[in-house]
Amino acid sequence: MIDRLPLPAQFDRIIMAGGAVVALVLTPILVVLLALLVGDQISAAELVFWLAFTVIVAGALGTVLLSNIVHAALALVATLLGVAAIYLLLATEFIALVQILVYGGGVVILIIFGLMLTNAQADPVVTDGSQKPFAAIVGLLLASIFIAAAIDAEWGAETAAVIPFRDFGARLFKDFIVPVIIVGVLLDIALSGALVNARPPREDDATPEGEAAS
Amino acid sequence: MIPLENFLILAGILFATGLYGVLARRSAILILMSVELMLAAVSINFIAFAAYLDGEAFSGLIFALFVITVAAAEVGLALGIVLRLFRERRTSYVDAADTLKW
Repeated sequence: MIDRLPLPAQFDRIIMAGGAVVALVLTPILVVLLALLVGDQISAAELVFWLAFTVIVAGALGTVLLSNIVHAALALVATLLGVAAIYLLLATEFIALVQILVYGGGVVILIIFGLMLTNAQADPVVTDGSQKPFAAIVGLLLASIFIAAAIDAEWGAETAAVIPFRDFGARLFKDFIVPVIIVGVLLDIALSGALVNARPPREDDATPEGEAAS
Repeated sequence: MIPLENFLILAGILFATGLYGVLARRSAILILMSVELMLAAVSINFIAFAAYLDGEAFSGLIFALFVITVAAAEVGLALGIVLRLFRERRTSYVDAADTLKW
């Protein structure tokens, strides 16, 4: 049946391989979590949290470790959608929707366009000594410091509040109106800057002084 | 009830993974993707603290919203620069941008 699907052969292989890997990793975790849920060891919210945890960490590792750039971008999508699930779990629906819209819809598309326009292949093989061991040491040290600090600290009374979003909007546009305006100006500047940078040079462009010689 | 520590540990692992990517990768776009991971980790921290410790003030949520906005602007601008680099050097690897190195 899979042969008859109207997909190019390469996409076919990518989808099947990726799906197989995801299924192999996620199925045992899902089974263990469901067993714990049935045995009343964890609540439903915790089940969702640990599933999102698995997706986020696996996607993040895929983003930084996969050598094929497009696969890394797809792993980034998985991570960002997992982060949106975490936001939903924290009862902040609005931020979760913004996350899906802006990251899943905008940023990732932009990154994939960047990949295609710059003809990026795999991560290059370096000949002048790899940074990976040092990067791994730094990452592991930082992660262990964060985990130790989070476990060690006393965080006071833990009452996860459900935040009313009507008040959120009122607060955003009354008390935080100056940052909102500044962010609007920033977006305007970023838009013009990206346009100026990405536009191909034209004949009638005025050349800056330094570049005139070349 | 999920303890606050779980969210903080998740954000810490995500941030450290992103940092590894920034340090180890050589392609500008992959470095950009790793920066996105680090920003997502920071947003998780902001929202977790807002939901658990700061039920009425919303500051964490508003900060997370600004982080998302600024990250979107940053990606657009950075990809413009990467395109410019690609046009000048025919590659998007950061090792190729070494004019200021001596």
